[in-house]
Amino acid sequence: MIEQAMATVLFYGFAAAAMVLALAVTISCNLLRAAVCLMGVLSIQAAFYILLAADFLAGVQVLVYVGGIVVVIAFVVTLTRSSQLLMDHPSPLRMLLAIAVAAGFAGVSIAALWMSAFHQPGMAHSTMDSTRAIGMALLDTGGSGYVLPFEVISVLLLAAMIGGIVIARKTPPPDQPFTSGGDRPGEADAALPKSQRPLRDRRAPQ
Amino acid sequence: MIQYLASHGPGLIHWLILSNVLFAIGIYGLLSRRNAIGILMAVELMLNSAAMNAVVFNRFLAPKSVDGEILALFVIAVAAAEAVVALAIFVALFRDRSSIDVNRMDSMKG
Repeated sequence: MIEQAMATVLFYGFAAAAMVLALAVTISCNLLRAAVCLMGVLSIQAAFYILLAADFLAGVQVLVYVGGIVVVIAFVVTLTRSSQLLMDHPSPLRMLLAIAVAAGFAGVSIAALWMSAFHQPGMAHSTMDSTRAIGMALLDTGGSGYVLPFEVISVLLLAAMIGGIVIARKTPPPDQPFTSGGDRPGEADAALPKSQRPLRDRRAPQ
Repeated sequence: MIQYLASHGPGLIHWLILSNVLFAIGIYGLLSRRNAIGILMAVELMLNSAAMNAVVFNRFLAPKSVDGEILALFVIAVAAAEAVVALAIFVALFRDRSSIDVNRMDSMKG
């Protein structure tokens, strides 16, 4: 009884906080502040997963999203100096159109949900360990198992990692061999043996 | 009071409306932002609310299985991969033209 009451209070409290923080993510002019708000939204999402009895997912959410993605986003915000260079004020027309599209989507989909009847089986008060079930399903090679998608997603993550490194790496000009030297022009040349340095940088012989 | 709260717990429709509203806020951010990183954050919001939808359906419509949770797990993994590649592209773009304003990326315009 008291647990259910608490779950209700937590749901509505977290829901209000999530909506406010999500609005802050999309409205805030300072992108670093938006990243911090995004961190709040994602943490609250982890709390929602716990309320939905998906404990393992809550842990993954905190590890991957809050600990990984948001930190990388904050890094890139500072690397690209977005919070100073580009204060993000949408023009009124654009804002109005965006509000119209978002409100239209929300209205249509909520109306559709309201009118559809879901066949709900009796809520089994599942105190079952869903972590164990997820582990079994992920490595199950049978018909209802997920071992193939699990392996495919590992390849996808590897490809994304390599792709990220390759794309973000400093590419040398066409006439210059690639070095792992440094980020500034001079440093990259200094890492090469003398005979391979580009002509313009080679010192005149004594 | 406690009895009232206990008997008015969130049902399926409440969870779905919550995730719908979060998704709509994500759409607003996606359409109104000019900075590419802001757009990426809005996309993350939308991915998250969609993943939560899967978990909600799992919990309320098929409480015996964990298929929805596994779908959410895959969504999180793909979102991580997508964020890495997108952020790498933003860094490369910023190096190339000192700005990641999507309004100024129109070199492929017909």
